[in-house]
Amino acid sequence: MNQDTKILIIEDDPVITEFLQTGLKYEGYEVSVSNTGAEGLRLLSRQPFSLLVLDVMLPDSDGFQVCRRLRDHGFNLPVLMLTVKKEVSDRVKGLDSGADDYLTKPFSFDELLARIRALLRRSGSVREEAVIRAGDILLDTETRQVHVSGRHIELTPTEFSLLELFMHHPRRAFTRETLLNRVFGYDYDGGTNIVDVHVNHLRNKLGDASHHLIRTLYGVGYAFYPES
Amino acid sequence: MKNLFARLSLRARLGLLYAALLILSVVLVSYYSYWNIWQLFTENEVSHMRARAKPIIEHWLKEQGLTAADSLRIKLKSEAFLQLAQDLTSRNAVAVILDAEGKIIASGKRLPEEPVPPPANIKYLRQAFSGMNEVTYWSERDGKPLLVFLIPLRPQPHNPKIFGVIQVSTSLAEINKILFRHGSMQISAVAIVLILGILFGYWLIGLSLKDLQNLSAACQQIARGNFSRRTKTTQRRDEIGKLAASFNLMIDKLERLFNSQKRFVANAAHELLTPLTGLRGSLEVLLRGAQDDPQALNRLSKGMYKEVNRLIRVCDQLLGLSRLENSANVDKRPIVLETFINDFKQRAKPLLQNRLFEVQNGPYLTFNADPDLLEQILFNLLSNALRYSSASSPIVLSWKLLPGYVEIRLSDQGIGMDEETLSHAFDPFFRGKPSAGAGHKGAGLGLSLTRSMVEAQGGSIRIVSTPGKGSTVFFTLPLV
Repeated sequence: MNQDTKILIIEDDPVITEFLQTGLKYEGYEVSVSNTGAEGLRLLSRQPFSLLVLDVMLPDSDGFQVCRRLRDHGFNLPVLMLTVKKEVSDRVKGLDSGADDYLTKPFSFDELLARIRALLRRSGSVREEAVIRAGDILLDTETRQVHVSGRHIELTPTEFSLLELFMHHPRRAFTRETLLNRVFGYDYDGGTNIVDVHVNHLRNKLGDASHHLIRTLYGVGYAFYPES
Repeated sequence: MKNLFARLSLRARLGLLYAALLILSVVLVSYYSYWNIWQLFTENEVSHMRARAKPIIEHWLKEQGLTAADSLRIKLKSEAFLQLAQDLTSRNAVAVILDAEGKIIASGKRLPEEPVPPPANIKYLRQAFSGMNEVTYWSERDGKPLLVFLIPLRPQPHNPKIFGVIQVSTSLAEINKILFRHGSMQISAVAIVLILGILFGYWLIGLSLKDLQNLSAACQQIARGNFSRRTKTTQRRDEIGKLAASFNLMIDKLERLFNSQKRFVANAAHELLTPLTGLRGSLEVLLRGAQDDPQALNRLSKGMYKEVNRLIRVCDQLLGLSRLENSANVDKRPIVLETFINDFKQRAKPLLQNRLFEVQNGPYLTFNADPDLLEQILFNLLSNALRYSSASSPIVLSWKLLPGYVEIRLSDQGIGMDEETLSHAFDPFFRGKPSAGAGHKGAGLGLSLTRSMVEAQGGSIRIVSTPGKGSTVFFTLPLV
């Protein structure tokens, strides 16, 4: 669903770059990375990007300068700045230099994703549909209503989150651990059996007795295959 | 009482003490002067009266024919004594002539306005009869003070034959009246002096203490955290002026120290937050599902491993810095420099890899230093030199002997430092601009830590650098 959304990361710390790249790719974004401000500006002028994630501390210049230069050159893509200092003056400086939003290190990756989604929505480069359709299943992320073949079905919040995750990533293989982390939170300590329980409840409610919709991948986990 | 005094303000206490001292000294001085004047008056009165009596007595003796050698046989008549007593009596002094038992032989008092003579005092009378010429004493009659003096009557001076004693008594009422007037004048003068003195003193004390009050107000503000507050420095060169100046100086130093401490903590937190960002982000990405991809799992785990090591390194350096604040942690032992450097070169091999590290041996010398600290100093300097110079350029270590010190120098032919960078080179958390392809990013604590390690052993460190040509670090260590 995030195909064609290209994100440029200008950040010099190798570990931060690594997880940003991996995490954003996993979410379906196309990601390019540059370690210096100058290289980043070169990349920007060569191909269009939907969003820029910009670190304030760069080896060749600081993020504020890069941002100002970028706006001077007429680039109007949304810029999310990563800062370390919590001082108000820094945030003001960031926003004044043309950034659209900022995050203070150490930030949560979930929050980063939420801010990226919000920025993309505001800039109009991505029209995020509130209603996702897969086969004859309709899921409304705003009203949290699910309809199967026009018939309304009642889901628990856990079942809803599971279905939403599956429908966002059709045909992707999820391990039980990943499903557990995504639905129950990263600090949930229980066993993975609970995932099987909730998946079975969801199958029953969706009328998926043959397990064609939510398939069990033996030794791996589950994957969602919507009927075309 | 003591508690009450302690509860008073300094100004009130000083004022009270000052007033008490002032009253005490003024009262003592005026009492002494009063007593002196009184003494003077009475002495004057006595000598005056004796001087008046002397010619009268001499005349009388001659008249009675008592000056001749055989005069003792002459029988004196009581009329003769009466004559003498009356001659010696005046308006304010009355004379009587007494025999050895204190009986009045003759009294000079004739008129009612003349004072009544006091009864004889046997003790003083005996002294006069025994030959003392100058007996004077105080007495009183009807509550009025009297000055009494006795004159032994004898034919010639030094003649032991005494046939009576003249007792002259004079009232002191006149003197007392004068003294009373003098005294009351003195009391009002003293009162005025005291009131003015106390008021002026209180004002003066307040003036002196005003700067102390300012100081105390400044202290309270600073205690509330307003470190920019200073007390007004006056032009005064006294103790309080000096106190205000030293106070301001102290707060300046404290403020600077406080700010650098704050900066240090902020920088330290920043150094910890950057690896924590990498750790947190990597973990979240893994937990979100990247863990299912073995390649991503491997890459992110390696990154996290690096970040954890970085955290440990920063913490180690921070601990090292705080440990070196206390020189008790320096353990000096005798070191043979040549042997030590050669051993170090062996141990540094993994760090050097294929880089050229040349040791130019200086004079053979043994000195006292902490071997662990010296090793760390050399290690830090060497890794800096390696990081900021190209792979083909050599690094040279040499040493020489200075009076009381050994100077060790390490030069590279790397990128060098400009003046701006050089001036901050030893600041904690300051990092020079990394050269292309520089290895891991340090926390910027290396040189700061190195300087602490050199200084903890009583040495000093400096850097000479030319941009583009390379840097040389000189550090000295005391021989003992």
